[in-house]
Amino acid sequence: MTLLGLALAYAGFLALSLAMERHHEQVFAVRRIPVLRARLCFWGGWALLALSLLPPVAAFGWGLGLVVWTGLLTASAMPLALLLCYAPRVALCLGAAPLPAGLLALL
Amino acid sequence: MKEGFRQSMAWLHTWTGLLVGWVLFAVFLTGTAAYLRPEISHWMRPELAAVSPGPHNAEVAMAAMQRLAPNAPSWFITLPEARENALRVFWRDPSSSGRGFRNATLHPDSGEPVAARDTRGGEFFFRFHFELHYLSVFWGRWIIIVCTMFMLMAIISGVITHRRIFADFFTFRPAKGQRSWLDGHNVAAVLALPYHLMITYSGLVIFMAMAMPWGMERAYPNPRQGFNAELSGNPPPRPRANAAAPLAPIGPMLAEAARRWDGGAPGRITVSNPGDAAATVQLVRAGHERVSTSAQSVTFDGVTGAVIAQSATPGPAAQMHGVVYGLHLARFAGPALRALFLLAGLAGTVMVATGCILWAVKQRQQALKSGRIGFGTHLVEHLNVAAIAGLPLAMAGFFWANRLLPLDLPQRAAWEIHAFFAVWALCLLHPLFRRGRRAWVEQFAAGAVAFALLPVLNFLVTDAHLLASAMAGDWLRVGFDLGLLVCGGLLGAIAMKVARHAPSAARRPAHSTRTAEAAP
Repeated sequence: MTLLGLALAYAGFLALSLAMERHHEQVFAVRRIPVLRARLCFWGGWALLALSLLPPVAAFGWGLGLVVWTGLLTASAMPLALLLCYAPRVALCLGAAPLPAGLLALL
Repeated sequence: MKEGFRQSMAWLHTWTGLLVGWVLFAVFLTGTAAYLRPEISHWMRPELAAVSPGPHNAEVAMAAMQRLAPNAPSWFITLPEARENALRVFWRDPSSSGRGFRNATLHPDSGEPVAARDTRGGEFFFRFHFELHYLSVFWGRWIIIVCTMFMLMAIISGVITHRRIFADFFTFRPAKGQRSWLDGHNVAAVLALPYHLMITYSGLVIFMAMAMPWGMERAYPNPRQGFNAELSGNPPPRPRANAAAPLAPIGPMLAEAARRWDGGAPGRITVSNPGDAAATVQLVRAGHERVSTSAQSVTFDGVTGAVIAQSATPGPAAQMHGVVYGLHLARFAGPALRALFLLAGLAGTVMVATGCILWAVKQRQQALKSGRIGFGTHLVEHLNVAAIAGLPLAMAGFFWANRLLPLDLPQRAAWEIHAFFAVWALCLLHPLFRRGRRAWVEQFAAGAVAFALLPVLNFLVTDAHLLASAMAGDWLRVGFDLGLLVCGGLLGAIAMKVARHAPSAARRPAHSTRTAEAAP
């Protein structure tokens, strides 16, 4: 469950960063973001971040869950900031992490 | 401040940060290490085997205390838990002068004092991070309180100063001199901001009775007892009856406490007036089961075993205090959450380090424009090396001393700590002889080698090395040895990065070559 929360938070931050021209350029080598994509990334990013709150709260309850979630936000945003500059393609691919993490949580 | 709000905040941020930066770096790094206090203590006592705690530990402890200190006015027993493999007891010795506290570490199954080397273990880093060393507790804590206040100011003024907090949220641009240091400082600060605020503020709350006692002194005529009793929910002590009476068995008390806590287990036992007719036994619920440190306790009559008090649900303020305190200590954190705390703690360490370096880089750039590098810049650069690169090396020195000092050396635990400071002092002298980047590279490289060789040293001088621990299933020790290798690897990577910086800097325009002089 913690892993799923981490993956969702990462995907959320990734989407938010792709709605920013500087990071869109790092990943896709194009500075201009298509309008629809920008909106999708922006709102999808916030939605994913909100969603990432659910697994830790489900696993630990509200008190501890919020503490874990805050930690997960840090732990997902930091590698993203480094990957965007050193390995942008890896940063993009890791955005799919919620799928395997979700399957793992279902098992 | 004539320039406007943001500029004056930038000024405040720079100077509050720089003045106490080196202390804060040490506090962050040793405090982060203190998240692994039990693990460090376990590793530093290679004689101890892993034991699993059980309900019999309390009975063992009570029996041991009957032998060790039958006449003491009070016993304090800390029971082992999954991460702690020894019974820790302390008591007041009526025959000794002063406050007269004595303590011992006992085997949780036999109750015999453990035959392990004399060491402070992880306790040293924990203590150092809030009261330093070689100073009285009073002054040490006051220094830390003042530095923590500065830290809080630096955080708040830093957020105000940071013009593009959202636009630069994920931005790190490497190999761009001053720009990169600022980016690194921002990323480490902003992405772990909730942690930094929490740890700084909670650190102040822990020392609130020292830092801001006035409200408490007004509301409570006798703050020491009234305030603390209300905060901890402890009943007032019973006077001694001066009539001998044996203690009731602890087993039924444990069962009663577990019933009242929905199966929760006690972590501490406090016995007042053991052997007297007025004896009381207080069971305090284990700290790692809940976030809050506000103690849940049940107090029993020591002779009849009847319940005489149970801690009430604390009021909102006391509950808040307990949660804030608990968040700082993070005893409740399981392995995954502890890893997150470690990561955030390291982010704080990096934040302070990059802040100090950034100041030196900026200063050197300005100094080069005016053609003269001042004493202040040299001093900051020098202290940066000794604090940032020197401390990890000193920590490695502490571990080396733990393995190398003769086992029968008097005051052995103190000598381990002397070794730590001796290594650190050498790191402070070293940049006098090796200027600039060379000092950085050499200290980081020495730290890398010292950490990486610790598992090897362990193999040579103890029976608790990597292979033996794996065979014995002591995964804690295995993990610690591997962790030491990771630390060595990290420091080595930093050393390489600093060393390689020279040729790439030479290729770039002149201004970044100059900044490269000031920092790695």
